Amino acid sequence: MIERRDFLKGCLACGVTAATVSVASGKAMAAGSFEGYPDAMGVLVDLTRCVGCRSCEAACNAEQKLPEPDLAFDDTSVFSDKRRTTEKAYTVVNKYQVADKETLFRKIQCNHCTEPACLSSCFVNAYTKTKEGAVIYNAKVCVGCRNCMIACPFNIPAYSYSSPLNPLVKKCIFCYDTRLKDGKPPACVDICPQQVMTFGRRADLIKLGHDRIQANPAKYVDKLYGEKAVGGTSWMYLSSVDFDKVGFDGHIQNEPIISNVKDFLGFVPMVLSIWPALFTGVHLLATKNKDGHHDHEEGDHQ
Amino acid sequence: MKQFLSRNPSTQIIDSLRKDNDKGRPWTLMEKIFLGLTPQQYLSQAMSNPLNWIFAVIFLIGFPVLIGRYIFGLSWAVGDPYDNAWGLFLAFGLFGMVPLSSSGFQLGSAVEVFGRHDFEPIERLGILNGILGYFFAVMFLMVDLGQPWRLPYPMVVSWGPEAVLFLVAWHVATYLSVQAAETSTAFFEWMGWPAGKTFVKKMALGLAVAGIILSTLHQGALGALSTYAPGKVHPLWYSASFQWLYFFVSSLPGGLCMVIVVSTIAVKTMGWRCDGTFKNSLSKLQIALAKGASMGLITYLTIRLIGIAHDNKWAYLGTGWGAWWMFEIGFGVVLSMILLTAGIRNNSVTLVRMGAWTTIIGVVLNRLNVYMFTFNWQQGHVHIPPIREIIITVTVYSVYIVTYRAILYRWPILFKWKTRYSEYAVLEPTPAAIAEAEAASSK
Amino acid sequence: MHAVKRQMILGVTGILMMLVSSVCFGAGIPDKVTINSIQKYYAPVSFNHAAHINKLKDCGLCHHHTTGAQVTDPNCARCHKNSGAQAVVSCKGCHTAEPFTPEALKQQRDQQPPIYHRDKPGLKAAYHISCLGCHEKMHGPTGCQDCHKRNDGGDAIFKSGKYAPKAPAKPKAAHH
Repeated sequence: MIERRDFLKGCLACGVTAATVSVASGKAMAAGSFEGYPDAMGVLVDLTRCVGCRSCEAACNAEQKLPEPDLAFDDTSVFSDKRRTTEKAYTVVNKYQVADKETLFRKIQCNHCTEPACLSSCFVNAYTKTKEGAVIYNAKVCVGCRNCMIACPFNIPAYSYSSPLNPLVKKCIFCYDTRLKDGKPPACVDICPQQVMTFGRRADLIKLGHDRIQANPAKYVDKLYGEKAVGGTSWMYLSSVDFDKVGFDGHIQNEPIISNVKDFLGFVPMVLSIWPALFTGVHLLATKNKDGHHDHEEGDHQ
Repeated sequence: MKQFLSRNPSTQIIDSLRKDNDKGRPWTLMEKIFLGLTPQQYLSQAMSNPLNWIFAVIFLIGFPVLIGRYIFGLSWAVGDPYDNAWGLFLAFGLFGMVPLSSSGFQLGSAVEVFGRHDFEPIERLGILNGILGYFFAVMFLMVDLGQPWRLPYPMVVSWGPEAVLFLVAWHVATYLSVQAAETSTAFFEWMGWPAGKTFVKKMALGLAVAGIILSTLHQGALGALSTYAPGKVHPLWYSASFQWLYFFVSSLPGGLCMVIVVSTIAVKTMGWRCDGTFKNSLSKLQIALAKGASMGLITYLTIRLIGIAHDNKWAYLGTGWGAWWMFEIGFGVVLSMILLTAGIRNNSVTLVRMGAWTTIIGVVLNRLNVYMFTFNWQQGHVHIPPIREIIITVTVYSVYIVTYRAILYRWPILFKWKTRYSEYAVLEPTPAAIAEAEAASSK
Repeated sequence: MHAVKRQMILGVTGILMMLVSSVCFGAGIPDKVTINSIQKYYAPVSFNHAAHINKLKDCGLCHHHTTGAQVTDPNCARCHKNSGAQAVVSCKGCHTAEPFTPEALKQQRDQQPPIYHRDKPGLKAAYHISCLGCHEKMHGPTGCQDCHKRNDGGDAIFKSGKYAPKAPAKPKAAHH
C-alpha cells in the first residue's frame, strides 16, 4: 500500500519536471533547419575596398550614442593593436599586413547569424532574429550570465562590466531601431566612402558576391565568407587573401552552433521518459522481500 | 571545541530534544544554537580554534571586496574579460562545485532506490554535501551574474527554453528543492517537528528518483554548455558527442570522493560530534564509496580516451597543451585510480583518502581547464583571474566551509538524534516548561 | 598574322582616341566641378576637371563608355562597343546618391536585362573608388583631407579637433 503510493508520488514528481523541460527540447530540435527569413537584409563586405579611414567606427559611435572613445576616430595609431568589439565600440577596423607591401583592413561587428549562437544559448530569450535580418537584444530581461559571449563564434558581444546597477550586453544591432526597420542601411554602410559594404537582401547579396568573384577571379579568393559559416550570416565577406590571414576563423563549421548541442538535447526526453520507470523498477527489484525497508527511521533505539 | 570538551568533560552537547537532567525539559532554540553551552563558553571555545582566526582574516579582507564588487561593478572585481566571460566564479564556483555535490543523489539513490541501507550512517552527510554545494554554486552565480536580482527571470519573466542553461537553471532550482526536502528530515528532528519528518520520509523514493533524473541531466548539461564554444575550448578538452558524458561521469567519483574527504575532515576535527555508528562504520563505508568512485574513474578515463580517438586528436598530445592534459589525466584520474584501488585491495583507508583528494582536485582542474585555462586557447594566452576575483572566490568558499561546519555541529548529520520519549514518559514536562520552550523556539 | 591584326587595332584605337579627345574638349564640358555630396562632414571639393582631362586624355577612365570612348573591358564591350556617346555623362546622372533606399534596391533588382549594372556603386563610392584608386596608382594625394577639408560636422563625428576626447590619451585598447 505504502509502496504503491510512494511510486505514484515519484512518478508525479518526475512528470512535473518532464513537462517543464519537454517544451524546451521540442523547440530546440525544430530550430536546426531554419533557412532564414526570405526578405532578410544583409551586407556584403569587400575587404579589398577598405582604406581604413574608420568612418564606420565614428558613425556607429554617433548613431548608437556610445561613450566617447579613448582616441579620436581619425587616429591611426589604433592599428598597431588587433582590437575587438567592446562596450564602447560595436565595430572596429583592424589592419593586417598580408604581404610585404600589401595591407588589408577588416571591419568587425556582429555578423547577424541566421541561427545565432547568442540567441540559442540565452536562457531568457533576450535575443531576437528579426525578419529584417538583425539580431537584436532585449536589455529588460537580460540576467547577465554572459553565455552569449561564450557561445558567439565571432567573439562579438561585449558587456558593460563597469556598470554596477545596469550592466548589459553591448553589441551591434544592425541599427535596427533607428534605421533597418524602416528599410534603411545601417550607419556604417551609409557613411563608408568606398562602399566597402553593400546593403541589400541577403539572397541577392550572395549572387552579387559570387558575381564579383566571377568577374574578377584573379582579385578574390573563391569564397564568400558567411554564406555558409555557422548556418549562414547576414554579413558576408569577400577577400583577396585567405580569410585566416585577416583575422577570420577559416575553419569555422558550416553547421549552426546549436547543432553541436543537439546530441545532448536529444538525450533529454529519453532520460525524462525512461529514467523514472527504470529506477523505480530497479528499486522494486533491489528491495523485494527485504524486511524493514520503511522502518529505518531512527529513534527508540536507546 | 575538542579542547573545551577535554577541559569540561561533564558538558552535555545537545543531541536530543530534551535535557538529560532537569526533568527532561526541552532545549530552547538558543540553547540548541549554542550546542548547550553558555554563550560565553561557546565564544571562548570558538576563539581558541586557530581556524576561526584564519577565517576572520579572510572575511576581514574578503567581505569589503565582495561588497565592493556590488558597489563599483563587476569590472572592479574581474576586469573586462570580453573573451573569457566566465572566470573563476563560474569555472570554480559553479562548474567545480556542482560535480563535487553529486553525492546527494548518489547516496540518496543508493539507500532509497537500491536498498543499500548499509550506507545510511553516511547518507545524510552525502545529501547535506549535495545541497550545500548546490546552494553555494548559486551563491557564486549571484556574485558572477551582472544583474543577480534577475535570477528568477528564466523561471517567471522570460523563457529561453531551447538553451542548455535554461535546463540547468530549472534543474538546479528543482533539485535544490528536492535536496532541501531530503535534508529537512535532519532539520525537523533538530527543531522537534516529527510530523514534517514523517511527511518527507514518505516521499523519499520519489525524491531519490527525481534526484537521479535531474542530476543526470544537469551534470551533463554543464558539460553541454561548452559545446556552444567548439572553437574556443581546446580540442583535447572538447568533444561534441562526449562532452556531457565527460561531465556527468566525472561528477560521480567527484561527489563520492568529496564525501570521503568531508567525512575524514569531520571525524578528525569534530570527532566529538560523530556518534559511534558513524565512527565505527566510517572506514568500511569510505572503502565502499571508493569502490564506486574507482568504477566511475575507469569509465571516465575510457570515454576521455575514446573521445580523443573518435576525433583523432592524438597529435595534440605532443603540444604543450597535451602535456597539461596528460597532467590532468595522470594526476586526477590515473593516480587517483591507483590510490583508490590500492586502498580497496589493502583495506587501507589512508590510501583511499589520498585518492579521494586527488580525484576531487582532478575534477575541479578539469572544469577550470574547460572553462578558463584552455578557453580561447587559439588566442595564445591563458586567462589568469585578477586578484579581487580570487579574493572573492576564497571568501565565498570560506562562507561555505563555515556554514557546512555550523550545520554539522548542530543538526543530526554525523550522529543519530536521540528521541527518548519512552525514558521520560513518567517525567512529563510541566505545561509551563512546554510553553517556555515554544515561546523560545518561535522567536 | 597576329602582329598585323594588333597593329590594326592599335591604329584604330589611336584614331578613336583623337576623336574622343576632341569630343571631350567640346562645348558643355566643365572645367571645374563642385562635388559636395558629403558636405555634412567635409568642405566641398572644387574638382579641376580640365587639369585631369589634360593629364589623362582618356575620358573612359572615369566615364566608362558614356562619352563614346572605346571601352576596353571585354565585359562592357559586349553591349557598349559601339553604343556611342550618351545623353547623360555626369557621374551623378547614373550613380545615385542614395544607393540603398528600398526604391533604389528594388530598381536595381528589377532592371532589365537582369545581368549588368547590378553592382553599381553609389555616387560617393563612385567618386572615391575612382579617384582614390587612380591616385594610388599615379601617386596623387590619397589622404582624406588632401582633397576635402573636414568641417565642424566632420570633426564632431570623428571626435577630432575641438571635439577630441578629453580623457588623457592613455590608450586602453581591448586586445586579445
